[in-house]
Amino acid sequence: MNDFSELENELRKLRPAQPSSALFERVGDALEDCRASAAADAKPRRWRFAETSHNWWSLGFGLAAAAVLILFAVVTMERRYDQQKIVAQNSAVPETRPAPVGAERSTSSSRFVPAGGTNLVYNARDEGLHFANDSERPLRRVRYKTQQTWRWRNPETGASLRVSYPSEEIVLIPVSVQ
Amino acid sequence: MEPIASHENWRNCFSEVAPGLLLFARQWVQSAADAEDIVQDAFVKFWRRNHDIGNRGLLYSAVRSLALDFIRRDARRARREATALAEAEPANEPHFELEDDTQSALASAVESLPRDQREVLVLKIWNDLTFGEIAGALGISQNTAASRYRYALTNLKKSFQPQ
Repeated sequence: MNDFSELENELRKLRPAQPSSALFERVGDALEDCRASAAADAKPRRWRFAETSHNWWSLGFGLAAAAVLILFAVVTMERRYDQQKIVAQNSAVPETRPAPVGAERSTSSSRFVPAGGTNLVYNARDEGLHFANDSERPLRRVRYKTQQTWRWRNPETGASLRVSYPSEEIVLIPVSVQ
Repeated sequence: MEPIASHENWRNCFSEVAPGLLLFARQWVQSAADAEDIVQDAFVKFWRRNHDIGNRGLLYSAVRSLALDFIRRDARRARREATALAEAEPANEPHFELEDDTQSALASAVESLPRDQREVLVLKIWNDLTFGEIAGALGISQNTAASRYRYALTNLKKSFQPQ
């Protein structure tokens, strides 16, 4: 094994360039500002919330649209089920006559059932370590960009409905340092 | 609770760590002024939150994080920095206070090392961090830190012979 002690000694003789005196003044001023306004931390916290809130808007709109469509599909299915129940109660013998074509179409053609959903992560970016204002430990910030797609399908008509929207999510992962 | 140290405390601490921190920051940014901005931000944040220089791995981690943010912030600047790093051009402003040609040759040899080896070397030699602290600051294992250090010294030994 090589002995690097001589090289290490040579390296230690190299002295890094000294910081300018202005840097000391700037650091002192910055620490003084912190001391003067202890409540200043609240401001970036609000800004950070505002920064991320627009991501949640897109997610919220998407989820609201999906919820409305699911509700619509459920109501339609319930109405169809109730109609079938009334027909069954009114007829003493099993109904053998086919239902009117128009009536059948009017109830079944609007029945959509959920057919699946995907959440495609097309970009994940590690934005490095950050210090949250109320945390003494660094946090690794990872930004995920996704495309969420929800699909419904009408089994009778074969029609399909698809809602797709982009979303962005920031995940903060605590980091432990030894 | 306001974790801000007294005026004297931060000044003593900063004067001790600032040269090494600046050298570390300049592994990513070529300009000494940019490196000073990064070191200032990192130190102020660290001092406000930790108030314990014993946990200095976090300080170097903050410098690295801010330096990477800095070169990402502006696309043109990032391209310029990437080009400068890829071509390993010597910086206009020296990283070290050089006293003779031997030191000049050694500094050049250090600057021509691959960046992953150089940052470990800078943290070990001029910042006196342990391999554990280096591992924490760079987000690598201790074994990786130790092997990068060994590779750096091996490469330096090949390219530099003390006169």
